[in-house]
Amino acid sequence: MKKTRMKIFIISAVLFFCTNSFGQKLALDVREHTLDNGIKLLMLEKHDVPIVSLRIVYKVGSVNEHPGITGASHLFEHMMFKGTEIFGTKDYDSEKPLLAKEDELISGITAEKSKGNETDSKKLERLQEELEGVWKTQKDLIVKDEMWSIYLKNGATGLNASTGNDATYYYCNLPSNRLELWAFMESDRMKNLVLREFYSERDVVMEERRMRTENSPFGLLIEQLNAATFTAHPYSWPVIGWMSDIQNMKKADVSEYFEQYYSPNNAVIVVVGDINPDEVIDLIEKHFGDIERQPAPPEVTTVEPEQIGERRVYVEYDANPVLSIAYHKPAIGHPDQYVFDVIEAILSTGRTSRLYKSLIEEKRIAVMAHAYGGASKYADTFIFFSSPRHPHTAEEVEEAIYEELEKLKTTPVTDHELQKIKNQLEAGFVRSLESASGLASEISSYEAIAGWRYINTLVERTVAVTPEDIMRVANKYFKKTNRTVAILVNNKKKGKEAAHENKGS
Amino acid sequence: MKTKEVNFSLNHLFILILILSSLSIGHTKTVFAYDEHSGQAIEPVMTAPQSEGAKIVSAFEYEPIEFTPPKPERVVLDNGMILYLLEDHELPLFKIAAHFRTGAIYEPEEKAGLASLVGSVMRRGGTKSRTPEQMNEELEFIAASVETGISRESGSASLSTMKKDIDKGLEVFADVLMNPAFPEDMIRKEKDEILEDIRRENDTPRKIIFREFRKIMYKADHPYSRKIIGYKDTVENITRDDMVAFHKKYFRPNNVIMGISGDFDTQEILEKLKDVFADWEKTEIDFPEVPAVEKKFQRSINYIYKDVNQASVVFGHIAINRLNKDYFPIKIMNFILGGGSFTSRIPSKVRSDEGLAYSAYSGFHTPRDLGFFFASCQTKSESTVKAINFALDEVRKIREEYVGDDELELAKDTYINQFIFKFTSSASIVGQMVGIEYEGLPLDYLDTYVENIEVITKEDIARVAKEYLHPDDIKLLVIGDMEQFDKPLSEFGEVNTIELKSEQE
Repeated sequence: MKKTRMKIFIISAVLFFCTNSFGQKLALDVREHTLDNGIKLLMLEKHDVPIVSLRIVYKVGSVNEHPGITGASHLFEHMMFKGTEIFGTKDYDSEKPLLAKEDELISGITAEKSKGNETDSKKLERLQEELEGVWKTQKDLIVKDEMWSIYLKNGATGLNASTGNDATYYYCNLPSNRLELWAFMESDRMKNLVLREFYSERDVVMEERRMRTENSPFGLLIEQLNAATFTAHPYSWPVIGWMSDIQNMKKADVSEYFEQYYSPNNAVIVVVGDINPDEVIDLIEKHFGDIERQPAPPEVTTVEPEQIGERRVYVEYDANPVLSIAYHKPAIGHPDQYVFDVIEAILSTGRTSRLYKSLIEEKRIAVMAHAYGGASKYADTFIFFSSPRHPHTAEEVEEAIYEELEKLKTTPVTDHELQKIKNQLEAGFVRSLESASGLASEISSYEAIAGWRYINTLVERTVAVTPEDIMRVANKYFKKTNRTVAILVNNKKKGKEAAHENKGS
Repeated sequence: MKTKEVNFSLNHLFILILILSSLSIGHTKTVFAYDEHSGQAIEPVMTAPQSEGAKIVSAFEYEPIEFTPPKPERVVLDNGMILYLLEDHELPLFKIAAHFRTGAIYEPEEKAGLASLVGSVMRRGGTKSRTPEQMNEELEFIAASVETGISRESGSASLSTMKKDIDKGLEVFADVLMNPAFPEDMIRKEKDEILEDIRRENDTPRKIIFREFRKIMYKADHPYSRKIIGYKDTVENITRDDMVAFHKKYFRPNNVIMGISGDFDTQEILEKLKDVFADWEKTEIDFPEVPAVEKKFQRSINYIYKDVNQASVVFGHIAINRLNKDYFPIKIMNFILGGGSFTSRIPSKVRSDEGLAYSAYSGFHTPRDLGFFFASCQTKSESTVKAINFALDEVRKIREEYVGDDELELAKDTYINQFIFKFTSSASIVGQMVGIEYEGLPLDYLDTYVENIEVITKEDIARVAKEYLHPDDIKLLVIGDMEQFDKPLSEFGEVNTIELKSEQE
């Protein structure tokens, strides 16, 4: 079927106009459709190659967890690949009683273990043997990673999923004629998910944590930085969860997650590529339309109280020093976010950015220095990272960063600097239109935290930021009382002790 | 400058890809990879769907996709520059990605790090007529970038600009390639930063493992055994004269292949290229002889102590180069063994069944001379030997038994149906052609790609597994804390302990 290239031409035409003239909007022509059950469908046509980039977003992340089940959203994301009542199993009717038996044995084992000195080790052994038996029988019924295989066979690329603080994303790019396959499998996951191989997957996640956090100085530092920065708000715990929470996670915990958050009214579908939107609407209605709306998930009501004094954290570990600094800032939707976007660019984008010029080229005290001020659904932080260059210390680099922040507070940014950022933003927008996959990710991530329309005013709102705005925001937020500093200190001996203490069972 | 514009015929067959007209697991499955030239169509072996869901989706019918990938034009200029050009007028963008025949393999051992240093300072140090600050400002103000780098076996240079800035972009790009200044102060800065990177090399197992594995894999006098960034002493040995000479030798028009894509007119851009590179002279290059890699298999068990709670494991042996005649069957074999994510055997066993790792995979590294086969995973200390054995068993098994029809079909279908994703942008289309020619592959590589996959049989897989996998002659490297391992590594043979020493102490 031949498709016209009309749509993308329209986008290009708009762009030509605006990059060469003034004040035209840089915008995506996204078509929106909401199903009766609340699923929001966002579509963008791009007909240059017969492919389609698909995303399904569930608005649930670590921010929706509570102590005791930290990491549940992420573990659940892993479970989404284990199949449903009709995928991943040769016979669900035979498997079902085994899954029930598994639950029963696990709670028996947990109860027995919790008796401490009273634990009946004979009984425990018997229960564990029985559990192994159940798993063995179940194994013959499982079709390993079948949904994944079916996607691959059909040419899927970029197959993956990710969990963040605010949302969970499922990624898939397919040849465009494969859209119905995706709709069928994803709707089935939303309807009939089965938590199979839960306990081995929990072990996999513990290995993931060891790899990403416990044996990575940077991972460890960020975890400690966030834990100290947020005293009340759930951004304080890591997305992957604390080790003891992962270790003790029950199927029931994540199953509750599924009920509450993996509902159609909490989901967004994004389709970018060689599509006919009317056909896509029919297809999505056909497969997802019959899923029942659920009660709206609970809101996150905890607000991080204003920080009233600097916090400093030292992480002692067998590695070279790394510095991190976090300042509280407001959530997306607050007008100051646009100012932070500009500050991030001034400080940290490219070889002409202030941190690069000052810390790396002039003072030569660091080998890496970044500022990051991206937006989140709830109030989060503006962060700095830097690796000092020996023998310069993290504290020296810290001072140099504060000097740059002082400059922002007292000296207006030049028009030339602002114009450069404007040019980069506009060019960045045009470049983003090259990739269906990139556009799908961008649309889904903004939709998850603010609504996709945020993209269409982003450039305009950001280039409207003035030198006065920057001075005002710098003075308001980059205060000593509003910051948390975490420094990784090289300590061979401590590294050893820490590693032993962290050893999982 | 006179040119001889050869409109080289790529002997491009008209590629018509009919992407699976029905789902592969179904009985009605038809996979046609049409080669117009030979008119052959291949139908792989069917396997029955194992789950109810797979049965349902196997009955789905999809409209065939017709897609003819755009064909870049190959032009050779008088001065020897090889160009691949592809006009793409959808967005006002312009890109060049160039490959130079050079690399760390051509640097003397006592000056290890020379090539990499040249690659960085070429751009960072500015040119004879542009200070680094001027160049950075000039480029970043128009949201353009020029970057250079030299890796083990190639040099790269890139330009990205908006259409309206093509002239300025080309001017700076050509200036960087032809007239880098290599100022002493910038060389010092770059060296100091490299020394800091070296200092940080032992901070995480991730940074240690392949560095040490290369040393075990290749003889010390072979450049494949060395670090591209060099060593403390060798970096200090490098003089500005060395750098100037290295640049002068390899950055020649007759030593480059450029891929040019975006919103331009071919004739116009050719004129502009001739113009900006007018002073660039063709010169015969005398490439230093690189010793051949010794093809020798000898088992060795190597251990590095690091105080971490998770072992990093890699094992493997010398294998193939990129031009090996069995490249395609080896790729498919490895997909089944451990290169095809969850569905392949090593991750399926080590990760999915046993929950012993988050990351577990195998691969073939294929440089110009003999590369290596490897399998790698990270697992908690207490399951180290168990995980190694599981992975090793899979390597043995694939040599001894035929792979299943379903596994072979999955691997081949994945490659064939993902093929279309090689053409998702004009930059990736020209980039591929540059890579193909640089590697010395036949220029009709993409035209015959699908057919090369289609013809692979399970007998081919068995043959290449036997020929290229040597599970009894592996070199094993484990980083971790052996005291905590389930069993000592002496299970596998005599253990050679490698001391990690910081070069800075």
